[in-house]
Amino acid sequence: MPSSPTHVSPTPAVQLESVRKVYQSGDDEVVALGHASLTVASDEIVALVGPSGSGKTTLLSIAGGLLRASDGTVLVGGEDITTYDQKQLTKFRGNNVGFVFQAVNLVPFLTATENLTVVAEMNGRGGSAAKQRAHALLEQLGLGHRKRNLPDQLSGGERQRVAIGRALMNEPGLVLFDEPTSALDSKLGVQVMELIRSEIKGRQTAAIIVTHDTRMTEFADRTVEIADGELLPT
Amino acid sequence: MQLALREMRRAKVRFGLLASAVGLLVFLILFQQALLNGLTTDFVGAVDNSDNPILVLNEQARANIEGSFLLPDQVAAIGELDGVAATSTVGENTFTATTPVEPEPLDVVLFGYPLDGLGGPTSLSSGRLPEAAREGVASAADAGKGFAIGDTVTIVGEAEDVDITIVGLADEARWSVAPTVFVSYDTFEESIRAVNPDARLVLPSFVSVQPAPGVDVDALTDRIDQAVPGVESLTRSETIDQNPGVAGTRQSFNIILTLAFLVVVIVVGFFFLILTVQKSKSLTLLRAIGSPRSYLVKNLLAQIGLVLALGFIIGVGLTVFAIGAAPIGDVSISVSPRTIATTLVGIAVLSVIGGIGAIRRVLGIDPIEATEPGGQGT
Repeated sequence: MPSSPTHVSPTPAVQLESVRKVYQSGDDEVVALGHASLTVASDEIVALVGPSGSGKTTLLSIAGGLLRASDGTVLVGGEDITTYDQKQLTKFRGNNVGFVFQAVNLVPFLTATENLTVVAEMNGRGGSAAKQRAHALLEQLGLGHRKRNLPDQLSGGERQRVAIGRALMNEPGLVLFDEPTSALDSKLGVQVMELIRSEIKGRQTAAIIVTHDTRMTEFADRTVEIADGELLPT
Repeated sequence: MQLALREMRRAKVRFGLLASAVGLLVFLILFQQALLNGLTTDFVGAVDNSDNPILVLNEQARANIEGSFLLPDQVAAIGELDGVAATSTVGENTFTATTPVEPEPLDVVLFGYPLDGLGGPTSLSSGRLPEAAREGVASAADAGKGFAIGDTVTIVGEAEDVDITIVGLADEARWSVAPTVFVSYDTFEESIRAVNPDARLVLPSFVSVQPAPGVDVDALTDRIDQAVPGVESLTRSETIDQNPGVAGTRQSFNIILTLAFLVVVIVVGFFFLILTVQKSKSLTLLRAIGSPRSYLVKNLLAQIGLVLALGFIIGVGLTVFAIGAAPIGDVSISVSPRTIATTLVGIAVLSVIGGIGAIRRVLGIDPIEATEPGGQGT
């Protein structure tokens, strides 16, 4: 039986064109990212690998609107965020991007549900609809029985799943994962990567996964290497 | 707001302790104000609640009624000045007296004033004003000591005593923390002569002056001081403020109250600053995932507001209970709703100022720090 076609947006999720990030250190310039160009399709999972200090997190932060590029153009979902000020970037992050950071990252005094609903509430979209969506996401992530638990009542894997749920809460076109398995053992790391792939692909959204663990790249559609702030040809 | 409430719900002990600390400080401040008010009222209530628009005292008395007397030519000169609508001579002195209730003689202050003139109490809590000699209005706080309506207060004299029948009571009408009775000037004179039969002349303590309609009070006091040698004119509030007992008491209490206000600011300010530092990883995470600064600041202010509200309830409750349950000796302590409201508004404003450190900390959070290892919440 032929599968029904799924709609995939022709607009790339991310388009970085000759993006540089330079820091001043006294009279010297430190180049964290040098003329990086990268396009991620709207339903693509890209693994970004490289050694420590290679510029992975800098690139991820620029793509997610956490950092402003020194040069170049940054388009996310077709939206040019290159010249956005901090206020605009904050709003952009809240509406368009999901984040899962390196360490397990939840607000300790909020329950699993509240860690998801806070994403909607802080942008004025709280209420019962947000709560229903948070419950649905937690159910899909196998955490239906953990909705009322605080982070310190959850295992490491469960916390990471809640963080994934939070990243998906605002229905983003792009989800950024910064070393999502670094705090987990290999078995749990694989399980989390399988979950990430399943959730991202199930939603036809895009993801960039920063990792230094090459074993995790098999869960991505494509792997991009970075070294000394330069993207390497594949 | 929801974020603030959730955090407080999950850290009840921490926030409860702070609210309790604020409550105790509010209680301390309000109770001290009540005590100050009580002491002030007991020192000068008789003048504060009397019909004396301007009091002209002897210059050498330094605003102390007890040390003041005016000579007849001074009294006459005051009455002849332009802008003076009416004057009354008022006498004040402390006497030894007995009452039907108190077995031992006690000090009683008499204020003598012309029954149809200035210097009497402005309002009564019960009874009536004196209408004849040997009738008096007593301070209501001393009704239980034999100064109730119908009681006879006996001024103990050298040769013969003077019996005064209490016909009315006035709230907050004590003088120098002693039972006080307003009587006619004739009765006052009679009492002075009873304790000092050799007195050739009974001099008034001060002259009460009613300004003519449209005459500026400050201008009139200046005119009296310039025109009549050896006198000092004071408004009623100036007389109270410059009373030696009141001025010293207020100065001492104001130092303590200022320190208490500072402690509130420091406690609230440091608590929220420490709390903000402790949860800075969570705040950085929230900023990184798109929380506007205003959202975090609003929640911080909401927490300050809720802690203060709880502290206010505790503090006001304790004050009301303490005032009702624990009279301090003879001092009748009380605090007005206006004083309570002013104090609470002051504490709220100062607490927000104290919270500026925490607010600045929140505003200074850089979301990029969420990408640093260990840079976020749990």
